[in-house]
Amino acid sequence: MKEEIINIKKGIKLHLIDTNLYKTDLSVIFITIGLDKKNITKDVIIPEILKSGSNSYKKQIDISNKLNELYGSTLETGTDKTGKNLVLKLYTENVDDIFLPNKDRNLEECINVLLDITFNPLIKNNSFDEKYVEIEKERQRMIIESEKDDKDTYAYDKIINIMYNDCGYGIKRNGYLEDIDGINGKNLYKRYKEIIETGKIDIFVSGNLENKKIEDCIKNNCNIKLLKDRDDTSYLNDITENKKDDVVEIKKVEEKMDVTQGKLVVGLDVIGRRDSDDRFKILLYNTILGDGANSKLFRIVREKESLAYTSKSNYVVQKSNIFIRAGIEVDNYEKTLNLIKEQIEDMKLGNFTEDDIENAKRFIYAGIDSIKEEQNTAIIFYYGEEMSKNKISIEEYYDKIKNISRKDIMEIAEKIKIDTVYFLRN
Amino acid sequence: MQVIENDLIKEKVYIEKLKSDLTVMFIPRRNTKKKYITFGTNYGSMDEKFIIPGEKEITEVPDGVAHFLEHKLFEQENGHNSLDVLSSLGVNANAYTTNNHTAYLYECTNNFYEALDEFMNYIQSPYFTDENVEKEKGIINQEIGMYNDQPDWKVYLNALEALYVNNKVKLDPAGTVESVSKINKEILYTCYNNFYKLSNMAIVVVGDFDKDEIFDQINKRIIKNENTTIAKKVVEKEPEVINKKEIYEKMDVNIPLFILGIKDKIENDNSLNSSKLQIRKHIAIDIILDILIGNSSYLFNKLYDEGLIYSEFTSIYEYARDYSHILIQNQSFEYKKVVEEIKERINYLKENGIDNIEFERMKKKNYGMYVKEFENISDIGNNFMESYFKEINPFDFIDESQNIDKQYVERILKDIFIEDKMITSVIANK
Repeated sequence: MKEEIINIKKGIKLHLIDTNLYKTDLSVIFITIGLDKKNITKDVIIPEILKSGSNSYKKQIDISNKLNELYGSTLETGTDKTGKNLVLKLYTENVDDIFLPNKDRNLEECINVLLDITFNPLIKNNSFDEKYVEIEKERQRMIIESEKDDKDTYAYDKIINIMYNDCGYGIKRNGYLEDIDGINGKNLYKRYKEIIETGKIDIFVSGNLENKKIEDCIKNNCNIKLLKDRDDTSYLNDITENKKDDVVEIKKVEEKMDVTQGKLVVGLDVIGRRDSDDRFKILLYNTILGDGANSKLFRIVREKESLAYTSKSNYVVQKSNIFIRAGIEVDNYEKTLNLIKEQIEDMKLGNFTEDDIENAKRFIYAGIDSIKEEQNTAIIFYYGEEMSKNKISIEEYYDKIKNISRKDIMEIAEKIKIDTVYFLRN
Repeated sequence: MQVIENDLIKEKVYIEKLKSDLTVMFIPRRNTKKKYITFGTNYGSMDEKFIIPGEKEITEVPDGVAHFLEHKLFEQENGHNSLDVLSSLGVNANAYTTNNHTAYLYECTNNFYEALDEFMNYIQSPYFTDENVEKEKGIINQEIGMYNDQPDWKVYLNALEALYVNNKVKLDPAGTVESVSKINKEILYTCYNNFYKLSNMAIVVVGDFDKDEIFDQINKRIIKNENTTIAKKVVEKEPEVINKKEIYEKMDVNIPLFILGIKDKIENDNSLNSSKLQIRKHIAIDIILDILIGNSSYLFNKLYDEGLIYSEFTSIYEYARDYSHILIQNQSFEYKKVVEEIKERINYLKENGIDNIEFERMKKKNYGMYVKEFENISDIGNNFMESYFKEINPFDFIDESQNIDKQYVERILKDIFIEDKMITSVIANK
């Protein structure tokens, strides 16, 4: 498996991943734009409104009929915060031709549907259809109002919002209620045009590409031909950007809600100067601390002390943050927090074994291996590298992890500090 | 050795019953590093009443034993936790408990055989002590607490409660904090000794292996298991009628969640004994659900455009030997109206029949869906495990979905989608 990158225009790239490992082909359009509080509510609605109709498929039902006709091809859309950016994602997945009873041209057809929906929306008088805009506004309002229904996700989003406020990464990923009313077909279309004209566009096609002229299919698409050059350098994530030199005082926030189980989230920050290889060291640090069954948080908070079923941490690479999460009995709050602090302290003191390091490295290698054998994981990896200032290949990734020493981990541990503790309780 | 192949999706499975009575299925995958194995027993959370061989009395155990056993099996006499041991080999290990089976599994790219040593050993060597059983209760109670905060899970369990009078499918597989408190090491050993017999178990393995070697390597790791009679499960008779028309509960949710459930009758007369017939029925139900509430259905698009629902419906047909039901789920402030509209649409389709073009399109759509189930190796492994205990052949979905005819689907619509057999489960805001 290898990624071939073709520059379609300045700021618009086609990434082809030719592989015969899968039964399906996956086509994805990523449009990367800056995160901005004043636009986020519109930005998250746009992929949804695109699904309501295009010039070739006027209504949602026409799109669904077409995709069902293409042997249950699926269309998924969404948005994600990645560091300082927001990425709009449109996916189609189709069964590859060789597994169909009649040898159709499923992939090319699917790509054309995807391009049409993304770049050729149904527009009248410089406006999206007001009827569909109203439906999607209402839908977005419901999504925001329902954020509290899923307590785990709510608690996680909440701590990020506390740590970053309403700017950059702290911007709420579903947008803001107060901005919904002001949205209409015209201003939404205006925003759509800005995105299409200025966003960095990456198109990924993964699957059995032999004997298929995907490059031509995309280059010759009339919607693609209409796109202009754009500057995409400002979107690159640079993890060496300095954030803060120290955490003076740990912020503590408690919130009450009707829950059976308390949700504890601890937000860690990496302070001081970082170099580009630090992301691998922090990844290894996080794996030893809280990723997987061998991690300290799993073995001690869950298995030894029986305090939690969920006890883990995750690393947000673009922001150099680690978030520790535990679902616990409300009365065990102090006890659990102290145990978590002890684990962080132990990382600094080097209280972890050579086995811990090797186990964590093997855990990461298994993750790297899966890039080669999971279509979506590969696309996400290549997109992440596309957006990174210091790109690496899969092979370099193995080496970076392999070369990390105990000393490296202890050095990085010195820079990792608790920033905020959030507790959702009854 | 039995070999079953499917030319369209270019897959095959080798099946062999080993001398120890253990059934092993192998699905080859060429040129991949990733490997998957699952070891399951035909014993799940529903199996709480049984007669031990040689005894007359029925043994009854508390809710949540099968799931507790799943957690505890990882504990080893040498003080190791097998989950740690497997993780330290860089393999991704896990386990799950369903109503009718329990399975242990791992996925890896390296160290497959090193992991296989530990994997096959721990499943065959239980080690329960008073202390380690007590300790697990804290973890399981937090797992129950986590699910209790999830409205999706509550609306599902309540739907099953409304559908079934006696059948234990309606229980939470984890049990309750109270039932878990009654579990002890003797109960765990009783269940283990009676249901974790190789004749009651199966292994599915997927990956790039030499066929003879993989069967041989599994065979080598079998610890002798002499007594092969398993306990007889006692299933209480389930009436054809539903239990309750509606269950309504309040939780801290914004938009109410609802399930429209339909109870299907259990085919006691073995008329659906063959895999092909069972699967044909399943495909028919999938097609009906697509035409009724799928993303290209008249009703979904109408309700979405009217702003009554905000997302696609999810639907599922679940069945085993002694239960069978269909669940349709969504969220709506006007759930009563949405449920009524679904019922009306069912009647409309019954009276007017299914449109030919739509039917052909849905055949294609479902063909694609079934092919996609053979993409991911863990999905393939789990699918074969579940199908083995259901006594169906997953490849039949591929072939039957092309052969199915409209008259048959319309008959299934009339036979199963009956008003008297429908329930609603609602989780509303406080």
